[in-house]
Amino acid sequence: MANAEARPTMRGPLEVVEIERTFLREVGSVFWFIVNTFQETLERVQQGRAPFRAASFFRESVRAGVNSVPLVGLVCFFLGLTMALLTGYQLQRFGTERLIPGLVAIAFTRELGPLITGIMVAARIGAAFTAELGTMQVNEEVEAIEAMGIGPLRFLAAPRMLALFLLTPCLSTVSNLAAVFASSLVCKAYFSIAFPYFLDLVKDSLLIRDIITGILKSFMFGLLIASIACYRGLTVKGGAAGVGTNTTSSVVTAITTVIGFDTVYNVIYTNFYPV
Amino acid sequence: MVQLREVQMQFEEKIVLEGVSLDVQPQERLVIMGQSGSGKSTILRLILGILRPNAGSIFFKQFEINRLNRRKLQQVRQHVGMVYQYSALLSSLSVHENVALPLEELTDKSQSEIDRIVDEKLELVGMQDAKDLLPDELSGGMRKRVALARGLVLDPELILLDEPSAGLDPVIATVVDELIIRLTEKSKSAFRIATRMAMLYEGKIIEEGEPEKFKQSKNPVVAQFLSGSTEGPILEGTLDAIRKK
Repeated sequence: MANAEARPTMRGPLEVVEIERTFLREVGSVFWFIVNTFQETLERVQQGRAPFRAASFFRESVRAGVNSVPLVGLVCFFLGLTMALLTGYQLQRFGTERLIPGLVAIAFTRELGPLITGIMVAARIGAAFTAELGTMQVNEEVEAIEAMGIGPLRFLAAPRMLALFLLTPCLSTVSNLAAVFASSLVCKAYFSIAFPYFLDLVKDSLLIRDIITGILKSFMFGLLIASIACYRGLTVKGGAAGVGTNTTSSVVTAITTVIGFDTVYNVIYTNFYPV
Repeated sequence: MVQLREVQMQFEEKIVLEGVSLDVQPQERLVIMGQSGSGKSTILRLILGILRPNAGSIFFKQFEINRLNRRKLQQVRQHVGMVYQYSALLSSLSVHENVALPLEELTDKSQSEIDRIVDEKLELVGMQDAKDLLPDELSGGMRKRVALARGLVLDPELILLDEPSAGLDPVIATVVDELIIRLTEKSKSAFRIATRMAMLYEGKIIEEGEPEKFKQSKNPVVAQFLSGSTEGPILEGTLDAIRKK
């Protein structure tokens, strides 16, 4: 009886240790996945051959980038609209509604644009990558590629990772522009700020470093989302159920990682470059 | 050409192969027989280096497969063709693209030369008219033939076939069997193909020899397996349990 009572108190810390261990193992696995993909791709380039099919890279770019423009643009347009409207009424009480353009522009360029884009890309493209690669894994297609002597990481993961790495900043820019455009409409309609004056206010408040910060972040978000999605896809086990489990896990992990990385990035950045 | 020495393979608690030794000579067609889950596919994966054994060694020519690094292993695999039980064709690529894939990725051949080789291999398996179709648009037998063409496209020194006629009707199975014999240049299905046979049971090779000798085997497991009878050592215990239920 005494033992039975003692067990639950021991299970708590042990479970925490196990969760920590699993977390660290997963982080390590994704890290080595990125390193191995990079290494396999580099080896291929050193042999003087194209690392992967150009067609495959362009297909992923269209799917991940071009086809995501309407969704990212529309969501950020609505968010920009709401943000301008809500902050505008508060600022109007103090007669400082001319701060709206700068506020929306800085908020989106530095933070919201890359973050919301990252979350949407993780949900839309991360899930697609994991499901697709997971199905290939279940159908032994990945093993067949490996059996032919073709590196599956450079052949399957590298084009997806490069496409998302390069296109997430572009999508982030689209989301910034959509939000700023939406706020310009609100400023004109509700606060009588004409478009040329709106642009002047944006230009006065926005710094180059705000733009660079957002873009750099987006590159990293793209790489992280693609790596997690491809890793989860290529490690699917257990048939169709496994594909479903890993797809869910991929989206959850990618979104959490994007938000976590964003926080760490902001902490480090504001320490080195105080606002 | 291929040698397995005292190979042991275990998945978690389950021992699949227990000290298996095999020797395959050039020009030889070895058929490994055994129940589902007896480790036939595992042996093929071990030869390809996709799985690593818990103990023992696997040789392909002079290379010890289980000691090769990733790069060397990829080079060795280019000399081995593999045809999977469920074909494992890339579903996003057409028949032509599937067969062309190893040539495009692993050789410096020009596109026209690749097209010529692919057409030649597809013609060999009688699939030249389906080259623009996607795998989803093919029947099981057609997929298997395309997979065979893909496995042969680099003219490998060794070809591994995982249950080549499984899931096919008897007529198509015969077509695929004949194709394998013809393509390797050199009749239930295994007897038609093999020049030598081996029976895998409970992780061990229990009988090995030429097909005729194999048919006359006194080993009760081999005899039961070939006759397809439910009475005998293979289902010992299992059948009683099923009957009781």
